Amino acid sequence: MSTNNLKLIENPKGKFSNYLGLGLAITGILILLMAPTILTQYYVYLLATVFTTALLATSLNLVLGYGGLLHLHHGVFFGVGAYTVAIVTTKTSWPFAVAVMLAPLVAALIALVIGWFCVRLRGLYFGMLTLALGQLVWAIVYRWNALTNGDNGIHAIPVPEFLSSINSVYYTTLLILVISLVILYMITKSPFGLTLLATRDNPVRSESVGINVKRHRLTAFVIAGFFAGISGVLFVLVERSVAPSLLFWNESAEVLIMCLMGGLTVFMGPMLGAGILVLISMIVGLYTEYWLLVLGLLLLFLVLFLPQGILGYLMEIYNKSQTRRGEN
Amino acid sequence: MLQVEQLKKSFDGFQAISDANLSVPKGEVVAVIGPNGAGKSTLFNLITGHLQADSGHIHFQSKEITNMAPYKICHRGMARSFQLINIFSSLTVFENVQASIIARHRLDQNFFRSAIRLFIEETLEVLDSFGLFEFKDRSCSALSYGDQKVLEIAIALGSKPELLLLDEPTAGMSSEETRKIVKLIKHLSREKGLTILLTEHDMELVFDVAQKIMVLHQGKTIAQGLPQDIRNDKSVQNAYLGETV
Amino acid sequence: MDFATLASQFFIGLSRGMIFFIVSAGLTLIFGVLRITNFAHGALYMIGAFIAYSVSTLFGQGPYGFWLALLVAPLVVMFVSLVIERGLLRFIYNRDHLIQMLLTYSLVLIAGDLVKIIWGTEYKSMDIPNVLRGSFNLWGASLPWYNAFLLIVGPVVALGLWLFLSKTHLGKICRATATDREMVDVLGINSTRVFATVFALGGWLAGLGGALIAPTTTISMGMDASIIIYAFLIVVIGGLGNIWGALISSIIMGVGEAFGILFIPGVAIIIPYIIAGVLLILRPSGLLKSAW
Repeated sequence: MSTNNLKLIENPKGKFSNYLGLGLAITGILILLMAPTILTQYYVYLLATVFTTALLATSLNLVLGYGGLLHLHHGVFFGVGAYTVAIVTTKTSWPFAVAVMLAPLVAALIALVIGWFCVRLRGLYFGMLTLALGQLVWAIVYRWNALTNGDNGIHAIPVPEFLSSINSVYYTTLLILVISLVILYMITKSPFGLTLLATRDNPVRSESVGINVKRHRLTAFVIAGFFAGISGVLFVLVERSVAPSLLFWNESAEVLIMCLMGGLTVFMGPMLGAGILVLISMIVGLYTEYWLLVLGLLLLFLVLFLPQGILGYLMEIYNKSQTRRGEN
Repeated sequence: MLQVEQLKKSFDGFQAISDANLSVPKGEVVAVIGPNGAGKSTLFNLITGHLQADSGHIHFQSKEITNMAPYKICHRGMARSFQLINIFSSLTVFENVQASIIARHRLDQNFFRSAIRLFIEETLEVLDSFGLFEFKDRSCSALSYGDQKVLEIAIALGSKPELLLLDEPTAGMSSEETRKIVKLIKHLSREKGLTILLTEHDMELVFDVAQKIMVLHQGKTIAQGLPQDIRNDKSVQNAYLGETV
Repeated sequence: MDFATLASQFFIGLSRGMIFFIVSAGLTLIFGVLRITNFAHGALYMIGAFIAYSVSTLFGQGPYGFWLALLVAPLVVMFVSLVIERGLLRFIYNRDHLIQMLLTYSLVLIAGDLVKIIWGTEYKSMDIPNVLRGSFNLWGASLPWYNAFLLIVGPVVALGLWLFLSKTHLGKICRATATDREMVDVLGINSTRVFATVFALGGWLAGLGGALIAPTTTISMGMDASIIIYAFLIVVIGGLGNIWGALISSIIMGVGEAFGILFIPGVAIIIPYIIAGVLLILRPSGLLKSAW
């Protein structure tokens, strides 16, 4: 009965949906490549912002959705990455490339330190400690005037010649986003990713089958921090300035909202959430200054009626139709 | 293979285990029995490292494993199933067992391969031997209770253990399902040579499969030996207060 | 650094700790009984401060205004809390932490802009009533009367809470619900009433905290952000659901912050986070027994 049924694993339907996904992705990328030729500078800038945020949200979801950990202060690593670039370019004479490479490493290092303490705890306490230690980093950045310029932030960050136009920034962020997403996707589909899901579903059972749950969670935490650092670099490319507010908790809360909106259980979810959120904030900003009110109402709606997020909801419908078809 | 000596464990003043002793010879099926609340699950949790003992020793394959982390104990060749269904709820049946096998091969931290392709044959073999092959791509929450309990045990076997701990494997099962489990236990012991330690309330099952029995009463080992000796042991009979043996 | 300075700073820190306690007590009560993480608690505190300002201004910021504000503000916030609990919160009692936090966070966002709409964006300030103005002399240190006032209110509130929880029927039910909710349901006790009461009480405490701090600080948006993180840390450090734990950790935070300002003024703001971080690392389940 067994091994000649190996072919069943190569589910033709599954293959189709894989090709569909790939096709959509390629189409999407092609469209985005052409965007700067049809859109105004402002929208190009906006899209670049979406790319930055999309990477940040997807990196958070590695810990939040795939890892099942209540990570409340991911924005800190984004801020650390951004500040690393800012500090290295304005306070040292090291080349820009060094700043860019150092940023994710510093972010990952901070993630290692914070994560090491946090993975010892579970659930709400994990969340609280990420909050406490994250705010500690904020406070340090806020007050260490000599290093970070404190409350004033660092502005007019110099970037290389080839990154001076918004279009070139756009293509650079798009390229880095796509590469990072591919890597993150591969990680979720790897044995590491499967094991991460197992630790999310049942940490006790995971321990019993030989998984070092703490180390696994810490690894996921550090990887997420690394990519958050990269998104910090992208932010600097787009905005050319940093401020301590990047590391305050409300920024991290927005990233959480993006993940929820798009769907915690789907890889593309946080990305979608990021895009929608940036878009809505821009549109709302045209009509009213009360963006937070709109965001609050939107979040309320999500939490009460769509906690699985938009893509999560769509997946549910898709799965239901599949089981119905399977039964027929 | 497994030696438990004078184990003690208390919770907030309640002495759950006061003096547990157990010796599991290699290749045998050993059962731990005792009235409700005797501490059987606590004992299991102590052996597998999920609880820290207050005092006493546990030796597995001649090495001390007292208070070792559960994942390390698993690496040494011990696996267990749980009394309450403890599976990976969002994964498919296939992935449940696969996760266990991946961990055994120490590939759980590997980023560079695609998980779908790993250990397909081995996983399918395990699923097949448990009769779960047809469910392999189903979400495990879609399984019946009996099948979920079987999956429980299948996951433990993914670790290819030398010693398998089964915590009330037939709890809540129909007699048909129980018979399947008995057949499985016998198969694992006789054909695969697995050492098995189990706790059970089903006495018929215990006397059918066990080659050695340990009786736990109020956290203390009151008897340990061959089934027929246990059957005739006065202290055991007293402990059960008339339960038919 | 003389004794007088140390003493006065300790005094001030202690009184700040009292405000922390009043706010955190509400939060920890909500945690313990409703098992809910209420991010909106800071917003309730802020609303309390704004309402206190409005009531006081209505009476020309005179002495009557202050005492009336102290009475009215907590009541208004309590009413708002009741509406929130009945209208929104009860739908998410059994969901996971993230959902609860985000629901209450949505209220923070909404409240933040509502406050902007109602009161505008300029900073407000409220006067301390004459009877509590100025300072007195204790062991060579000059201590503000208002802080002494806070040092009286704090323990009074603590005592009141303790009496409520241990002596009144409803209070005992609250404690029972915190430790064993199923049992309470089985006994046929109306948990709906309990939840609403506790959340309303928590809101009242938050409003009181806001009203009490209003005369001593600039009343503005952002008040909620700064207090909520402290409050959460205090609650977790003290042990979820434990009022005395909240008292102890509030005092530690208040005094720690005050001494931080004294000794390392530039970087004093990191002190609370360091304290919280260290205590959480050493005793993750809280200083005192948690209700969970």
